[in-house]
Amino acid sequence: MNDGHEAQILVLGWNFRGASGPVRERIALTADEVRDGLRRLLGRGLVSESVIVSTCHRSEIYSIGQGEQVGDQLTRFISEWRGLDPALLESASFRRFGAEAARHLFRVASGLDSMALGESEVLGQVRQALSIARETGSTRAVLHRLFESAVRAGKRVRTETEIAVHPLSIPSIGVELATKVFGDLGERTLLLLGSGETGTLFARHALEAGVRNLRIANRTLAHAQDLAARVGARVVPWDSVARELPSADVVVGTTASPVPVVKRADVEAAMRQRRGRPMFFLDLAMPPDVDPEVKGVYNVFAYDLDGLEEVAAGNRRRRVREVPRAEEILEEELERFLGWFGNLSVIPTVTDLKRRLEQIRDGELERLPPGDRERLRPLAESIVAKLLHEPMRRMKNEPDAAKKLDRVEAIRHLFDLDRE
Amino acid sequence: MHALGWIAVLLYAGAEALAIRSLFLPGGLGGAPALVAAGLLTQFAQLVVTARSLGSVPYRTLGGSMSLFGWMLGLAYLVLVVRHRERGVGPFLIPFILAFSILGVLLPSHPSSATSATRGSLFAFHVTLAILAYAAFALSFVLSLLYLIQNRQIRRGRTGVLFSRLPALDVIGRMNRTSVTIGLAVLSVSVALGVTWARRVWTGFADAKLLFALITLLVYGLLLWMDRRGWEGPRVALLSIVGFILVLFSYTFVNLYLSQAHVFR
Repeated sequence: MNDGHEAQILVLGWNFRGASGPVRERIALTADEVRDGLRRLLGRGLVSESVIVSTCHRSEIYSIGQGEQVGDQLTRFISEWRGLDPALLESASFRRFGAEAARHLFRVASGLDSMALGESEVLGQVRQALSIARETGSTRAVLHRLFESAVRAGKRVRTETEIAVHPLSIPSIGVELATKVFGDLGERTLLLLGSGETGTLFARHALEAGVRNLRIANRTLAHAQDLAARVGARVVPWDSVARELPSADVVVGTTASPVPVVKRADVEAAMRQRRGRPMFFLDLAMPPDVDPEVKGVYNVFAYDLDGLEEVAAGNRRRRVREVPRAEEILEEELERFLGWFGNLSVIPTVTDLKRRLEQIRDGELERLPPGDRERLRPLAESIVAKLLHEPMRRMKNEPDAAKKLDRVEAIRHLFDLDRE
Repeated sequence: MHALGWIAVLLYAGAEALAIRSLFLPGGLGGAPALVAAGLLTQFAQLVVTARSLGSVPYRTLGGSMSLFGWMLGLAYLVLVVRHRERGVGPFLIPFILAFSILGVLLPSHPSSATSATRGSLFAFHVTLAILAYAAFALSFVLSLLYLIQNRQIRRGRTGVLFSRLPALDVIGRMNRTSVTIGLAVLSVSVALGVTWARRVWTGFADAKLLFALITLLVYGLLLWMDRRGWEGPRVALLSIVGFILVLFSYTFVNLYLSQAHVFR
């Protein structure tokens, strides 16, 4: 902003880079707490607009405020509200102002600032933060536009680059590989060995990926029944695993068995019954549930944890390679936002408004016969000057920076000054 | 008059460039199918012009038959795109369409004068169907190569561009099965028509081309049988590649040097 005591964008935040897990947990806010926090912030008159993004990896307060001390005031506010030591909060926090604050939000929305580079959930969280702030009435022109621009940048990064294409988690990689063998997994049968923590996690993941025909086998039958009831799967008795193999397209090992549960001979027999249709083994257990020799059977795909970790590392490298292109997109969107924001100052708006009214005046004069045109020109000029005088004076003299922004925004909108 | 043929070649070349580009850019088919469709229309116009001047389907010249072959391959590509929305196949298939269309323009197009042996609808169907069958086998060849590439990517856990863009093995396998089945059925009809027609025209007909056509039918028949008998996967893909090498041999060497009844010169 150009005109002295103008309002500026500020972000104060605590994320996984600077704040430890316990600190982040204390600051993390539920949706209701965010609403409460926004009302308190506005009620105290600390800021004129505010949006809070709060996830397990970050809590960030985006605001429009005046003066350098707003950051300190916000830190004090959080410290009182959450009952945290101000010095600790201060040392774990980060602040960005103006264009840097906007750039930070764009990076967050596009997953460039995430622990898992390019992750997609954060875009939804940014969108949700804006919608909560709108409901609460804590956004006006600037933050609304800033967040919408950030969401657009995040979407573009995800569609125009491959930053979110290659999965990083082991279950997602397993599902992706199986999908490249079988196509749609909805019509396939998945046999899950083990119903412990990994098994449960994978079962949920498989259902999300569209698997409808899930079977679960566990040494302790009750555990298998329990998980099967929760995820809507069928239970296979532990001693029938070998008999069940021919009908399973994908087999996932997650048990704590000290010896392999699936042996090569079982798989060879199963493949004969399947008439060579491919089988896919995903061994997430350590020690392995699937005999490594299974890999050698014709048309069988088998992966162990080491193999999957290697794929994850490769995918991570692929995502990193997409960062420069993602940053180019962010800079394009940032430039567009900052162009709009820069115009929100009084001087460019006055210039633009004057030009617009003069265009209208000259356009109308052009339609007159030449003689009338020259005779009426002084009158038209005088009307335009008088029309301009009062709005200009009011915009310039408004002492409240937030109101000034609103007025400038209203003028730009009503006279369509951002149309090029 | 090859202007239309060259325009089609340019359109196919443009389609190939777009198809390669779409491999590396996420989202969309990248305009390649539209250019192939435009190329097909242009090439069709060229084929019609040639057919008018010859007074028959343009298969009596090597160039004409190559052009027809490329055209049918292009049609097969469009069917794949419309049915499966698969863009991974394009960059590998379009070069074949392009190559045959270029050969179609460059190779001799002055036919030996039509004799009573190369006239009539039976003969026309025989040759057109044979070319269609070869196009189906060419498609199967490309799909088999893609199958082997994708199979290797999956086994090695290489999740790069090819892995992402190529279809799932199951999908490639099904497309391959369809094209081999069509090729087999169409070639069988073509051979039957050919034999019927040959009996009418000659007595004591025996031709090396017939022998190779029967071997081709045998190889692709074996392929479909293997596919159902536990050999589904890379082995079937390899056999399809062998089958197509045989087709190429039959289409070129056999036509030019061994056969008496299938000389396009």
